[in-house]
Amino acid sequence: MKRRLIIALATAAILVAGLGIAWSRADKTIRQNARIRVLDVVHGAGLRLPERDREHMQDRSGLEDISNVSCRDCHGATTNSLPWAQPRPRHASPSGLAVSARGDRLFAAAPDTDEVIEVETSTLKVLRRAALPGRPTSVVLHEPSGSLLVVCRDQDRVARLDLGTLTEKESVFVGLGPVGLAIASQGAIETTRVVVANTLSDDISLLALQPLREVRRLPAGREPYGVATSADGTAAYVANRLAVMPGIDRAPASELTAIDLVTGRISARHRLDSAHLSEAVATLPTRGWILTPMVRVRNLVPITQVARGWVMSAGLALVTPDHSSVIQVPTDEANRYFADPSDLVIDPVRERAYLVSGGGDAVSVIDLQRLHLWLQSASESTLRTAIHQLEVSGDYVLARIPTGRNPRRATLSPDGTRLFVSEYLDNAILAIDTTTLKPQGRIVLGAAGLDDPIRRGERMFTWAGKTFQGQFSCRSCHPDGHVDGLNYDFDGDGVGDNLLDNRSLQGVASTWPFKWNGKNPSLEIQCGPRFAKVLMRTDPFEGQALKDLTVYIQSLPPARTRHAQERALSPAQERGRALFYATETPSRIPIPTERRCTTCHRPPLFTNRAKTAVGTRGLNDTTDHFDTPHLLGIAASAPYLHDGRAKSLEELWTLYQTNDLHGVSSYMSKQQLNDLVEFLKTL
Amino acid sequence: MKTTSHPNRFSRHTANLAAVVALGLVPSAPSADPETLPFPVITRFENFRMEQGMPSHKIHSVLKASDGRLWVGTWEGLLVRDSKGFHPITTADGLSHKMILGLAEDPTTGDIWVGTMRGLNRVSGGKVKAYLQTDSGLPNNVVYGVDVVGDHVWVATAAGTGDLNTRTGVWQIYDHNNAVMHEPWCYSIKGAGSVVYIGVWGGGIVEHDPSRGTFKEYRDPDADFHYDLVPDDGPVNDITSWLTWDDGVLWQCTYFGFSRFDGRRWRTWVESKSPLPSNFTQFVWSHRKVAWIGTDKGLSTTDGETWVNYSVSDKGTGLMEIHRPSQPVEKHTTDTALAHGFVLGVWVDDQEAWIATSDGLSHGLLSAAPGRRMAAHPTLPNTPKTSTDSHPNNITAP
Repeated sequence: MKRRLIIALATAAILVAGLGIAWSRADKTIRQNARIRVLDVVHGAGLRLPERDREHMQDRSGLEDISNVSCRDCHGATTNSLPWAQPRPRHASPSGLAVSARGDRLFAAAPDTDEVIEVETSTLKVLRRAALPGRPTSVVLHEPSGSLLVVCRDQDRVARLDLGTLTEKESVFVGLGPVGLAIASQGAIETTRVVVANTLSDDISLLALQPLREVRRLPAGREPYGVATSADGTAAYVANRLAVMPGIDRAPASELTAIDLVTGRISARHRLDSAHLSEAVATLPTRGWILTPMVRVRNLVPITQVARGWVMSAGLALVTPDHSSVIQVPTDEANRYFADPSDLVIDPVRERAYLVSGGGDAVSVIDLQRLHLWLQSASESTLRTAIHQLEVSGDYVLARIPTGRNPRRATLSPDGTRLFVSEYLDNAILAIDTTTLKPQGRIVLGAAGLDDPIRRGERMFTWAGKTFQGQFSCRSCHPDGHVDGLNYDFDGDGVGDNLLDNRSLQGVASTWPFKWNGKNPSLEIQCGPRFAKVLMRTDPFEGQALKDLTVYIQSLPPARTRHAQERALSPAQERGRALFYATETPSRIPIPTERRCTTCHRPPLFTNRAKTAVGTRGLNDTTDHFDTPHLLGIAASAPYLHDGRAKSLEELWTLYQTNDLHGVSSYMSKQQLNDLVEFLKTL
Repeated sequence: MKTTSHPNRFSRHTANLAAVVALGLVPSAPSADPETLPFPVITRFENFRMEQGMPSHKIHSVLKASDGRLWVGTWEGLLVRDSKGFHPITTADGLSHKMILGLAEDPTTGDIWVGTMRGLNRVSGGKVKAYLQTDSGLPNNVVYGVDVVGDHVWVATAAGTGDLNTRTGVWQIYDHNNAVMHEPWCYSIKGAGSVVYIGVWGGGIVEHDPSRGTFKEYRDPDADFHYDLVPDDGPVNDITSWLTWDDGVLWQCTYFGFSRFDGRRWRTWVESKSPLPSNFTQFVWSHRKVAWIGTDKGLSTTDGETWVNYSVSDKGTGLMEIHRPSQPVEKHTTDTALAHGFVLGVWVDDQEAWIATSDGLSHGLLSAAPGRRMAAHPTLPNTPKTSTDSHPNNITAP
């Protein structure tokens, strides 16, 4: 009996203990679930929170009404903790190249490792590496002065290095985000000009060489990128990467800017219809041609036409010798594309062009004599539509030479016998024998970095091999992970409806959900099945490749703008800041919470990650509610609103503000609006 | 051709008769000796009306650029004349509005900035980029005056003065809220060395020093709307319809007279007490300390002492009056005349004059340089030429 009692008590004790443990575990789970629920608080849910949490959220948000406040706005969303703010591995990826006049030396800019690298071309061995801060991107030689000129993209400057020592001798500030660089000599050093394309400030710097100084700043198109000069040094040509904003339902057009270097002024702006992403330009003096690679984009055609090759294709734009017209010819094939043309090099003696395809991992060799014959034989109507007839490229494309991953820039040896191609994402330079059109060897600058998920992701991002027939890569619409400035007709919500502005991927980490309709909760869904269904028309990115791709995208910092890099706010920006954070008008009239800037565009990411109706529904839209975009780097991502109807920040309020739904702004004077815009540009 | 004479001048200028006839003038007496004037005179007019390709009767503004091309702002768009003739630039080319109000050249880039009734435009490399109050920081779409000073484009608009930094894209607005400005309606603007002069409708002249952020107002001390009660005491009137500055001298147009400020003292002129042909002065161009004034009664030229007035007779012939200090007026008829007596804009250098009128564009050929026998005026110290009134050849090498 006693034994049974002991057993019963022990059993009871075990049961109690078990219950206690179970209760404890259950309590923890409940508390964890509660915590998760708190962290998941979105619109309206905050009203049902315990008093302590309500007070906390009101205190931290500064808002009495926390119906639009999410815990995520603060927790896990400080910019310092975001992936793009973290250190990341660096890779010796070659960008711009230059060969010495004797052909014995090759110089490469390595932007990721802040280096300039000298290579012996006979042995394909690296001779020297020189540190140069500021993301050196392009190089050009001026051997009469013993100089190597280098564009430092992130420091907005051009540095002059002594060729003998590879040390920096002087430097000059230019516009924002310089990339393209070329030199033009009319003989005397005094009249020699260095031409720099400043991508982020949309202008062109003309530099004198001795001493190195800026003598003129000229307005370009949008994102000037590639530069070439005429053989006699009297002219320069600048390829502009983005189209000038055409308006919501008009075909885009970009610009090839011509400069008279004698007067230092713009001599012409050649219009490239329905074309953009021109990243290089070259001349053929013997025929008076100016050539620029381009992407013919058909953004207003529904994306359903991907399978028919009707979204984008690569080609060349040719400015005729009399400069009266621009002819576009294709460089793709009817069922094989060579996406993202990134450089163009011309051999004037053989009349050949080498066109680098950054997304197709190839160099296309184009016989310019054959192209000339084809142009002569073509009728006017044929010339007008040639860019759409991909099969004609077979008449002048001689060969396609495979390269490593993401070739970006190329240069030709002075005798034209060797072509060097920077394989950016392989950290190597490919040497090609232009007689046999076969690779001769490879200069390896460093390990490929395949242990780095960001690097692996960038390889996915820039690779067109994953899309149908290799038509485009992620980069085709998001150069540098940013925007192409166009709006597209996606078919997921009906053909012809809902033109959508292309949104930047820079600074996008932690700004879920994605898409203007806010339907994609994560980048994995956005870049995986969603991207495959709407765009790729092939198998989606999956598994590790998809993870790497999203890691890379989240590593992209917000766009660098002129305003954001200035440390202290100007008086106008300070006034604009006060307007942005205002809870009442200057007349002391309270601004309703839901119509304050900070309610939806809440720091630090300046988004509440929710859909909001701000009165911007267009005639063809099927909803009033659109995802609230983050505002980091917003100065650089025009146009604005979900369909790109606002071509400037001002237009958000001057033309497209409806009854103060998009923030109360009707009380603002023009001065106050200017102040607000100036502040927004600092984000 | 009808002439009138003044006997007092006869004996003095007989020797110059042949030269005067050669200049296209048919004098009433041989007294009209342009070579004794302190500034050139227009010896012949060549006119361009709608029959000669102008798109409208009214020509609002004219500018000869440093590359030699002529820019003409009209009621119906912009024209540019090169060696092949006039070429129109219209709203179809991207111009924000057909009615052109003001022109200025960026002496560095050669870009032409165009003020219109709806927006500011930059013509660069043959392409037009528009700036509107709705898509940029432009204070107001009605852009009367425009000038380029260094990297800054200044505009006088119906709602304040705007300053666009072309390197940064940042706009500043100055109006009655943040500047010494009686009202925001600005008609004219001109860079003057380190300062900018703003012509304010009803507010006189505002001098702004951008580097210091200071504003100084010049108002009519009489504060009388219709009469210049005390001459030479300040601006003749607060209604500034236009102003310009060159070589240390500021000139002010009003609808009630004309003024000059040399940095130390003011001079004022009204039609009842001076050779000024009309109190209604609406445009002034300055070149080598000589003002070329557009009025509703023709073109008037003065260095402050001597005056030469050009008008059109009822019969369409040209009339030229020469007013020398303390001398009787000399009147002449000329073979050719201004296209119209209502003058809206002027551009002049040492060789030629271009005059925008209410009925066509006039090209005036100038007499030979008069040896620079100019009246001496004190000038502002160290005020370099930086704006579009500067000689066009003053472009630094690219």
